[in-house]
Amino acid sequence: MTAPTLRVRDLRVASPFTELLHGISFDIAPGERVGLIGESGSGKSLTATSVMGLLPQTLTATGSVLVSGIDTNLLAAPERRLNKVRGNTMAMVFQEPMTALNPLMRVGAQVAEIMTIHRTEPGRRQARERAIDLLEQVKLPSPAQVALAFPHQLSGGQRQRVLLAMAMANNPQLLLCDEPTTALDVTVQAEVLKLIKNLVIDRGSSLLLITHDIAVIAEVCQRVLVLHQGTIVEDGPVGRVLTAPQHPYTQKLIAASNLAAVDHRGRLHTLALPAPVPSSPVPSSVVPSRVETDAAAPPILPPYRAAHQSLDLGGLPTIFNEVAGVPVISVRGLSRQYRRRGGGLFSPVPIVHGLREVSFDVAEGQRFGIVGESGSGKSTLLRMLCALDQPSSGTVDVLGQPIAGAAERHLRDFRSQVQIVFQDPMGSLDPRMKVRDIVAEPLHHVDRTEALARVEAQLAAVGLDADAMDRHPHQFSGGQRQRISIARALITRPRVLVADEAVSALDVLVRAQVLNLLADLVDEYRLTLVFVSHDLGVIRHLCDTVAVVSGGRIVECGPTGDVYDHPLHPYTRQLVSATPSIHELTGA
Amino acid sequence: MVLVVLRRVGVFAATVIVASIVTFLMLSILPGNAARIALGVHATEADVAAQATAMGLDRPAIVRYLAWFGHVLVGDFGTSTVSRQPIGPDIADALGITVILVLTSVVLALVFAIPFGILTAVRQRKPDGAILSGISQIGVAVPGFLAGMLLVTVFAVTLRWLPAGGWVDPAEDFGGFLEHLILPAIALGSVQGAVLSRYVRASVLEVMRDDFIRTARAKGLGAGRALFRHGLRNAAVPVMTVLGLQIATLLVGAVVIERVFSIPGLGSLLLDKVALRDLPAVQGIVLVLVVFVLLLNFLVDLAFTVIDPRLRSAA
Repeated sequence: MTAPTLRVRDLRVASPFTELLHGISFDIAPGERVGLIGESGSGKSLTATSVMGLLPQTLTATGSVLVSGIDTNLLAAPERRLNKVRGNTMAMVFQEPMTALNPLMRVGAQVAEIMTIHRTEPGRRQARERAIDLLEQVKLPSPAQVALAFPHQLSGGQRQRVLLAMAMANNPQLLLCDEPTTALDVTVQAEVLKLIKNLVIDRGSSLLLITHDIAVIAEVCQRVLVLHQGTIVEDGPVGRVLTAPQHPYTQKLIAASNLAAVDHRGRLHTLALPAPVPSSPVPSSVVPSRVETDAAAPPILPPYRAAHQSLDLGGLPTIFNEVAGVPVISVRGLSRQYRRRGGGLFSPVPIVHGLREVSFDVAEGQRFGIVGESGSGKSTLLRMLCALDQPSSGTVDVLGQPIAGAAERHLRDFRSQVQIVFQDPMGSLDPRMKVRDIVAEPLHHVDRTEALARVEAQLAAVGLDADAMDRHPHQFSGGQRQRISIARALITRPRVLVADEAVSALDVLVRAQVLNLLADLVDEYRLTLVFVSHDLGVIRHLCDTVAVVSGGRIVECGPTGDVYDHPLHPYTRQLVSATPSIHELTGA
Repeated sequence: MVLVVLRRVGVFAATVIVASIVTFLMLSILPGNAARIALGVHATEADVAAQATAMGLDRPAIVRYLAWFGHVLVGDFGTSTVSRQPIGPDIADALGITVILVLTSVVLALVFAIPFGILTAVRQRKPDGAILSGISQIGVAVPGFLAGMLLVTVFAVTLRWLPAGGWVDPAEDFGGFLEHLILPAIALGSVQGAVLSRYVRASVLEVMRDDFIRTARAKGLGAGRALFRHGLRNAAVPVMTVLGLQIATLLVGAVVIERVFSIPGLGSLLLDKVALRDLPAVQGIVLVLVVFVLLLNFLVDLAFTVIDPRLRSAA
């Protein structure tokens, strides 16, 4: 057997206060594609940055990192030596394509630089020519022009291709990718993953791919390492680990990731785990979600089964999911245009169409999913539904009240009937307010004692203890904060709950818990749910009806299963096929 | 790019016009009659009225403004009501001196602030970095005129290396010119330099945390080279914003420093003319000062466009 490309032995990373990686060891063989999976805080990125020698100064690494062909332990090697290895023998692609490139430098020059640094091309001019070649190899259209572009002129997916071109420039033996597609849209993610796979296969490089998404690993890797709280708990071929996980943690992770597998009540599998942060005074976020719903109660079926329709641009404007009686939400001919700043000095101001002629209904008790990629118009639509923005034309009626163009003072009742849960559990709660004040804030004309009693009951309903009331948001984990947001949204007893990417920022296990909680609450409070997401799997799990949004229009709408299994519109087909899935391997 | 520059030139021209109107209005609503000031307190009402007509003060304000600004555009600032001499040449001479003083102090401030700021940022966690950083903090707290007086006491009075004040035309005696320039320029520039070095430090620290620096390190550049090749230009953008804002402060400082060192610049001229109540001259000097600040800010804006490609297309 040949020597491994990367050999990591007893790698420990410690901050001045605590140890973060507890002696992990693994090998990567030449040409092998290995995935490293784990939740946030498990130490995935620390592993990669230790291998690259790019740990923050406050952290120290011990153990050994050996790369084939280099006879020293990289953890002990002097900086000069490491500079020769980085970008040459091993290269790395990071998560954030928007900020990983120097905004003031042309991308061609940034790609060429890695060759001039390591003198792999004889001169500047040759390096620039080679950079254009490389940009072509990562399938960028008109690479010579792209080379002269600045990063802000490229999309996220294009920037990630540039970073890949850079990383592969010197044919590294080892490519490290840290969440390379997490910030990208589904269809772009699929292309970039394919590209990464093809590039490393072509060059015989080894790959260490870090991700929180099991499906991504299933698409690209041969072997997978499961990292949990700084320890590798499982290491094996992807097929075996995904179909027959050995370690309890891996089993839970895979069960929670599989949005298609549910229990008899239609809930995801979330088994309780040992509390991850024993030092924290706050109850752990992995308390099993409150399950008190009377199991004998009949499941609440959607009262209305949507027709499965797709957009027909030639014919009459389609009204999707048209409800015969009185719909909870009724949108007709909704358009929103934006004027883009600038344009030429004398040319007209360019107009951007956020939404074009959108018409649909949502029936009482429906769980209506809106799915689309960034820039599709789904967020604009959500803002209109919540009366946070005014349409250019068209009408929005919610609970029989026209809200498009209504003055804020007429919306008071609407505001208490329609509540929103936002994506960012870190940014959407005021850091200076106590939880009880955050949750009680939507209550008007309610005396203090009663308000506090209701807050306590509401927090209990979302699975938080009463002692959470006197804490501030920063003392909670992401999942717990999302529970606080949900409690805040439900305290006014709304009839409609709107969720904007409400679980996108959460880890898989926490995501499963929050999804179960949402499903329970929707049943219990008989809410109408509008759930906006880029994640098809989440929508399929949670919603009975889905509208696919692209280019400011609804292109397809219908019962979730029908739309996903028999898509009518080409865009839906593309979106569904681009979504990475573990089913191919698990055979489900 | 050309369009962006043209647009900025347009904005600059419009700002100058607005500034001239404001200057004109401010001085015309001041109490006191220019004609009476010109003739002195003992003149009769009839003489004052005749003088007002001669000076065109009986015309409507808009006509007076247009006549004044039209002449200013061709370099004619009118005639002093005190000395009866044209004001233009006086302003031109004084402006030359002030421009030299201000620009030298800007250069000195930058020469000090950039390396000092970078050093304190890079050595942030080391004891020397902390000490240097503390020194610059003291610099921020010392006002320019105090620095000026201290410099004079040490280098002119005690050591007798440099003159305590006055001005020499560079065309006559370049060595003498430099000798007279050094102390006031340092006095004026040191405070700005200290303030600026704080911003350079903050900006470099910010940039060192940026993702593209990590990318540069992953390419195989050492920490220092990554900072120099990729970091500094990015760090320059916020520093230049501060520099633009500081220029106005610097001109106000120049008015004081010129007094401390008896330099016949615009500041000294302005104070003299204010004391004499020579309104046309004050009006001209104030306008020149305002335009000077606007011009430097305009140049800073243009420099932004050159440094940052995002501003070229986004305008």
